[in-house]
Amino acid sequence: MDLVFLLQDVINGVLMGSIYGLVALGLTLIFGVLKVINFAHGSFIMVGMFVGYWIVLFTGLHPYLALVLVVPVMFFFGYAVQHWLIRPIFIAERDVREPITVIIVTTGIWYVLDNLALLLFGPDYRALSPNPLKGEMLELGEIFISIPKFYGFLTTIATCAGLYWFMQKTRTGRAIRAVSLDRDAASMMGINQWKIFNIAFGIGTAVAGIAGVVLTPFYNVYPSVGVPFDVKSFVIVVLGGLGSIPGALLGGVIIGLIESLGPIYMTATWTEAIVYGLFLMVLFFKPSGLFGQKHDW
Amino acid sequence: MRKLTMIAAIFAMVFAIHAGIGVAHAEDVVKVGNILPLSGPSASVGQQGKQAREMAVEEINEAGGIKSLGGAKIKLLYADSKSDPNVGVTEAERFINTEKVHVITGAWNSGVTYPSSAVAERYGVPYIVPVSVRDTITERGFKYVFRIAAKDSWWTRDQFMFLDDMQEEFGEELKTVAFVYENGDWGTGFAAQWEELAKEHGYEVVLNEPYPSSATDLTPVVNKIRRARPDVLLLTSNAADAILLTNTLADYKVSPKVIIGSGGGHADPTFLSATGDNAKYVFDIVEWETDVNKPGAKEVNAKYKERYGANLTGEAVDAYVAMYVLADALERAGSLEPAAVRDALAATEYSEGPGMIVTYDSIKFDESGQNVNAALAVVQVNDIGNGLERITVWPQSARREGYSPVFPMPAK
Repeated sequence: MDLVFLLQDVINGVLMGSIYGLVALGLTLIFGVLKVINFAHGSFIMVGMFVGYWIVLFTGLHPYLALVLVVPVMFFFGYAVQHWLIRPIFIAERDVREPITVIIVTTGIWYVLDNLALLLFGPDYRALSPNPLKGEMLELGEIFISIPKFYGFLTTIATCAGLYWFMQKTRTGRAIRAVSLDRDAASMMGINQWKIFNIAFGIGTAVAGIAGVVLTPFYNVYPSVGVPFDVKSFVIVVLGGLGSIPGALLGGVIIGLIESLGPIYMTATWTEAIVYGLFLMVLFFKPSGLFGQKHDW
Repeated sequence: MRKLTMIAAIFAMVFAIHAGIGVAHAEDVVKVGNILPLSGPSASVGQQGKQAREMAVEEINEAGGIKSLGGAKIKLLYADSKSDPNVGVTEAERFINTEKVHVITGAWNSGVTYPSSAVAERYGVPYIVPVSVRDTITERGFKYVFRIAAKDSWWTRDQFMFLDDMQEEFGEELKTVAFVYENGDWGTGFAAQWEELAKEHGYEVVLNEPYPSSATDLTPVVNKIRRARPDVLLLTSNAADAILLTNTLADYKVSPKVIIGSGGGHADPTFLSATGDNAKYVFDIVEWETDVNKPGAKEVNAKYKERYGANLTGEAVDAYVAMYVLADALERAGSLEPAAVRDALAATEYSEGPGMIVTYDSIKFDESGQNVNAALAVVQVNDIGNGLERITVWPQSARREGYSPVFPMPAK
């Protein structure tokens, strides 16, 4: 095996894997606080992609500048979804710790968003254009590094660092952590549980939006684009441990490396089988994942 | 709405009485039953087939109908199969027993054509298949089934014939080939045929790589292609992965001498807009393209577009041609006896006339009822001043006038 080619695949695996980690980050955040599996996560990524796409198309600005708008828009979108659609169910089923109806509601949001996008934009595959990042490659001899993916890697690091700082240092961050540990005890300490839920859901949605913006320069935008990323996110989150931020990052990189290195030794179809095989093994032997907390929710 | 339906019903009754009078001299009308997917998942192609049939029959009738039958007019009847084989069989029975049709055509979906043509065979009613690709439709030893379009296996055969012709024309030798395909029925089926053809044509297969159509990153596959350094890259892709592959190939500057798609995703209308210049010089195999260099093709397409608001498709062209092939056979049969019509169809050698806008030179059926000359066309994506477009390059007789294909692909 040529070492240069191996290095090439490792680089691509880490870059792509970190982006997968970013894609899964919002899902794990929302689960960590609300204990709700958000099936609409892929659709949130799709919405982020479309918002970013239209901004770049109309302004011609650098794709990453769209973040300035996408992050607040997606935050308030997620905030509103939690406040208007999910909170009423939490209240209606307050006796249940993990209301199943919420999962059904998020599935409903997924269908509505995907079909709304289909209705508004049609099934076309859209590529960002003008796109200063399209096809930009850093060439180091035989090794090619995709610039848009490298930017995605940096964005992932920055997002993770920012979130970590927010969770550790700010009052709201501490409140979010308190609610995720024990929402009843947190409520008794004077934390408004519902507001924290809204904020956490908003942050998770905003992170999905960031992932959307990162993907847009090198991936196509279309209404059902969230579905393959949705499935991947679940695998990553289970692998890394539900609710864990470093777990999502590491889980993403592991999946990225399997996808990138696997095809050297077998066909690309088999790597998909390996990913799902790993998913089942984790569920079987270490259901809490690599970084998951031991205690029962 | 109800009022309209009433008026339509009255009209229908008047017409029915009219048709009833017509029966008195039955030779006046040739009844053709058409089984098509007019609703359901394949409704759009079904509608294209219906519109093309109507346009052709109108032209034939206006030109005096079938002269050897005393100027008999062709009358089209339709049955909506909804892409359901069971409905196809029932409708074929109804056409034959109740409507007493002279000929059946259909049914676009191979799955519907297969059983419904068996019904026609049993009753001895000629069945013309404009398009349905499954090989086995004409491989059952039937006497009354005739197919105009190419079979499934001919798509791959023509990809290799195209390679042969191009090597000869441009004096460029191609030695190694890579297969990259979606891992569904379609892709794996094509790959199995490529494998045999590559052996027959003396290529060395350097890569045989299926990939999941839902893949979010195809860089690993592209890196494999880069390592294998094939002269020829054969692809079978759906739309999303065709776009992703084309862009990633360009990013990594992978330039085989030839890249050929297999229709599907490469022919998707959004493929060109989502890949832009990255798709330049890519070849793709198709049934028909609007720029085909055949007398009358432009005019027929213009007429169709004016009426129905869209360009002719491969499906529509085959349906259009089928009506002319039928009219030609009826003219020679001089009778509506099923056996006579069948024998006339079997003796078809249709090489000129308004229907010849297909890419190949003539229509002639072999023992099994397959049009031996049916062939496909190859297009090349290029920008010759009007933005990126698909330009017909093969077979040479159908090549767009004044265009010289870019072969081999220049290194990027």
